Amino acid sequence: MKWRVVGLETHDAYFNMALDEAISEGVRAGSSPPTIRFYNWEPNAVSIGYFQSMRDEVNLPMCRELGVDRIRRWTGGGAVYHDFEGEITYSVIAPVGIFPKNIIESYRLICGWLVSGLVSLGIEAEFMPVNDILVKNKKISGSAQTRRGGILLQHGTLLYGLDLKTMFSVLNVSRQKITDKMIKSAEERVTCVQLHSDAGKREVYEALICAFTEGKDYEVGTWNEGELARARELAEGKYRSDEWMYLR
Amino acid sequence: MIAFAKQKAREGKLVKVEVEYDETIKKLNITGDFFLHPEDVLDEIEKSMIGLEKDVSFDTLVFKIHEIAGDARMIGISPESLALVIREALK
Repeated sequence: MKWRVVGLETHDAYFNMALDEAISEGVRAGSSPPTIRFYNWEPNAVSIGYFQSMRDEVNLPMCRELGVDRIRRWTGGGAVYHDFEGEITYSVIAPVGIFPKNIIESYRLICGWLVSGLVSLGIEAEFMPVNDILVKNKKISGSAQTRRGGILLQHGTLLYGLDLKTMFSVLNVSRQKITDKMIKSAEERVTCVQLHSDAGKREVYEALICAFTEGKDYEVGTWNEGELARARELAEGKYRSDEWMYLR
Repeated sequence: MIAFAKQKAREGKLVKVEVEYDETIKKLNITGDFFLHPEDVLDEIEKSMIGLEKDVSFDTLVFKIHEIAGDARMIGISPESLALVIREALK
């Protein structure tokens, strides 16, 4: 099986999530190859899990004030703040049959590629079931997975830098005022590449590409017209719609 | 009346339940940061609760959820933890 690898791109939240779904459809139909992609989010955005409530999880007025996009993902899990400067996101999309049937084991496999990338940078990372990667017992990466129509989509984020103040301001972590104590408590639970390595973001991305492709038959590719057209359709018709945004 | 409950499931994820009811359940909405494969099963679970009496037992809720969920895979929640939050909301 030959993988397609699409290098670091930047899109808005709606197109990013629409691309994941369009590729999933393409892989299912046989018109897209199994794909690994890396991307950034611009504008910055908050994504919520498929089962979450936008109104419950996201400080909508603050997002509007800061120009932060909001989106519901196709995958479960929690709310994530995607900062353009402070994050690298990946997606892996391929037939479910090539992964372990056990969901935790499939997280372990794909997260293992990310762990290898971090280890190659000298960062002692470890997979922590269900879907996290930790460095010195602090979370540096989270992933989410869906299996629909025989296709597995897993996407996840690697924290390169941390902007906890903005993160807390756009998430309804608590109705309380954002306090120094709250920030300190989060700093005890969350970490980022910059706190463990001098590697620049480009270097980190290159380490990830190496780790994700190691031992695989792959070629560096891009999107076909069908994928782009479908992604545009999904971005506008689904992911930007209130019906999807406020599904729960 | 509309009631609300939330609890961190024993399996690790947060579950929130909003339920509208009088003598029976009229509407139920489950949200949270859990995983459920396939995802559409949650809609079916919610629908299966409609019409149940407001004092439905925990065991009945668990049975119903198991019945609907079948082979679905829950991560961070379980039929029992979902039933607990629904029961809490109906108190």
